[in-house]
Amino acid sequence: MTAPRHGRRIAAAIGLVSIAALTVTACSGTAGEAEGGGTDDPIVIGISLPLTGDFSEPGKGVERGYEAWRDIVNENGGLLGRQVELKILDDQSNADRVVSDYESLIAQDGVDLVFGPFSTRLVVPSARVAQEYGMLFVEPAGAAEEVFEQGFDNLFYAAPAIANDHYNNLADYLLALPEGERPETAAVAAMDDPFAQGTAYGLRDKLEEAGVEILVNEVYPPNTTDFSTIAAKIAQSDADIVIGGTQYQDAVNLIIALQQLDYQPELAAFSTAPTNPEFAAAIGGATEGILAPTGYSPKSEFPSNVEFVEKYTEMHGNPPSEDEANAYTTGQVVAAAVEAVGCAEQGECQQELIDWLRDNEVETVVGPLSWDETGKPTGAHLMQQWIDGEILIVLPEDVKEADFLFPKPAW
Amino acid sequence: MSGALLLQSLILGILLGGLYALLAAGLTLYFGIMRVVMIAHSAFLILAAYLAWWFNQQTGIDPLVSLIVTVPLFFVTGVLMQRLLVSRLKPLTLTMMSVLLTFAVALVIEGTLGFLFTGTQRRIPLPYASESLNFFGAQVPVVKLIAFGLAALALAGLFVLLKYTRFGQALRATIQHPEAARLVGINTDRVAGYGFGLGLATAAIGGTALSLDATIYPSLHWHWIGPLMAIIVVGGLGSIPGAAIAALVLGIAQSLLQLPLGPTWAQTVFYVALFATLMFRPQGFFGGRLAQRF
Repeated sequence: MTAPRHGRRIAAAIGLVSIAALTVTACSGTAGEAEGGGTDDPIVIGISLPLTGDFSEPGKGVERGYEAWRDIVNENGGLLGRQVELKILDDQSNADRVVSDYESLIAQDGVDLVFGPFSTRLVVPSARVAQEYGMLFVEPAGAAEEVFEQGFDNLFYAAPAIANDHYNNLADYLLALPEGERPETAAVAAMDDPFAQGTAYGLRDKLEEAGVEILVNEVYPPNTTDFSTIAAKIAQSDADIVIGGTQYQDAVNLIIALQQLDYQPELAAFSTAPTNPEFAAAIGGATEGILAPTGYSPKSEFPSNVEFVEKYTEMHGNPPSEDEANAYTTGQVVAAAVEAVGCAEQGECQQELIDWLRDNEVETVVGPLSWDETGKPTGAHLMQQWIDGEILIVLPEDVKEADFLFPKPAW
Repeated sequence: MSGALLLQSLILGILLGGLYALLAAGLTLYFGIMRVVMIAHSAFLILAAYLAWWFNQQTGIDPLVSLIVTVPLFFVTGVLMQRLLVSRLKPLTLTMMSVLLTFAVALVIEGTLGFLFTGTQRRIPLPYASESLNFFGAQVPVVKLIAFGLAALALAGLFVLLKYTRFGQALRATIQHPEAARLVGINTDRVAGYGFGLGLATAAIGGTALSLDATIYPSLHWHWIGPLMAIIVVGGLGSIPGAAIAALVLGIAQSLLQLPLGPTWAQTVFYVALFATLMFRPQGFFGGRLAQRF
């Protein structure tokens, strides 16, 4: 009995040592690859995205945008002559998870670069991790003002404007109207969400400052399913204009609740939802005159956008929307810095990339982008409006596809 | 605050309360008959809403027509679920284990809906979605009125079934005293199966009613289960009239309280009512002896 037991122990010990040796070899191999950065090695970009959970739909849109960027870059010869690989983890829309994802991507996997996740709620904690490691952090979806109040010196938002500035073109237009035509009262309803509130309050504050009376100012939780009483308040106020700080589902439900109560405002503006491909069908086609700010139009003629829309449509059968475009823009911004500086790895290179972006403008699918010292873009959003069953750019004047419909027809 | 706004909010509150009553009816039935806390009830509501949407997408016909298929389908699913899953739980830990079991069922339904239809929010494009009737200056949305009418019909049908049929008598006997019901020859296992089927049949109707006026997505059921649980506890576990009255009262309270408090605080009305009921009348307002026994 003793001999076989002894033999088994030896076998087990040999087995353990073998496993340990293999593990060490494997680990050192990974580290070697990460640190080596040989000229033929791919450039690995680490990303965490909400592929499941509350933000899964836009999260998947961002993933599609990143993947389209990778494919186009690789087809065109890669970055610095090296192919690009994306390492995408699913943070399940969870802020704790996104932190550990970026920790492991940077510290353990040794990725060369990182791209940001979706939503302000996930961008802020992940940007903090990137800052601790001195990494450049370009992000496609942290648009709320609070992102730029955190003191990040490594962050850049890859879109034309932050949430509070989304309605700037509309505010300028309304406030330039002659006294008798300018709206006198407004009703505001916003989801309790930094981005959604930011968009509505940017416009509300500008109008209020100019003397427009705010008759209703409602905030509702993200899980609100019944909008009838909010709509009743707005309808009873009979405000000249209604401003929604919304995402998709709440905007659709709020608009239908307003229509049910036969409220006919002169202007109705809702962030995010009206540019969604399913919006018109969801509200039964009664879209005429509804406004939305957008940072992107697939029809825009910025040089790289034509290639992006063509490639994306070939891949997915439909043109990209704003989430995909902002992700693609993130790739373009980082690529511009990498090509200009001539490096893409952790360490000193990251600060060189950050410094380059501080001082330069980048051509992207959403137009030329540059940033202030907080990472806030200095551009403006377009205003789109539903006219004859199509959503068209109406503001600013120099890029409009149709005349601004004001006051809006009955819905 | 104007009288017109009060009247408008009161009407909307009544319509909302009617829908809540239908959505909660099945939930109280499961507990009444079997002491089962059916966490998956709201997931079945969303499943029914998806089937109504899918039916409309495929045929273009009004989603209410889908009830011809979904009501029997859900009834059979309920009977099978009781026979194959719930009846296997041990009587001593039935209530607690049913929470875990039905929680798992809810996750399976949510995951399947996400896989089949993605997380994209869906809404049925009804031609009458924005229509409303004028009632003394207040607007009564047609879809909400239809949902309310459907709820009233289904609850009236349920009431007649429970009150005036032999099956209903057997079901009520099982609810009131299962041991005694068994002693007088009622096959309580079969009754439990049909009762579960009946609960899911109400979910089919409730989910379809819900789909007329709401955007749906797979995880929506988590937003519903809390308020529905509060309604059946306030009404008295196992009491369908109790659930109906509690649903109406809380629906109206939610709607009216939104006027001074805003939507965020108005949603807490369910949890305040739940807390107060558990503190001062744990058997609920119409629960009688039942809740005290369990």
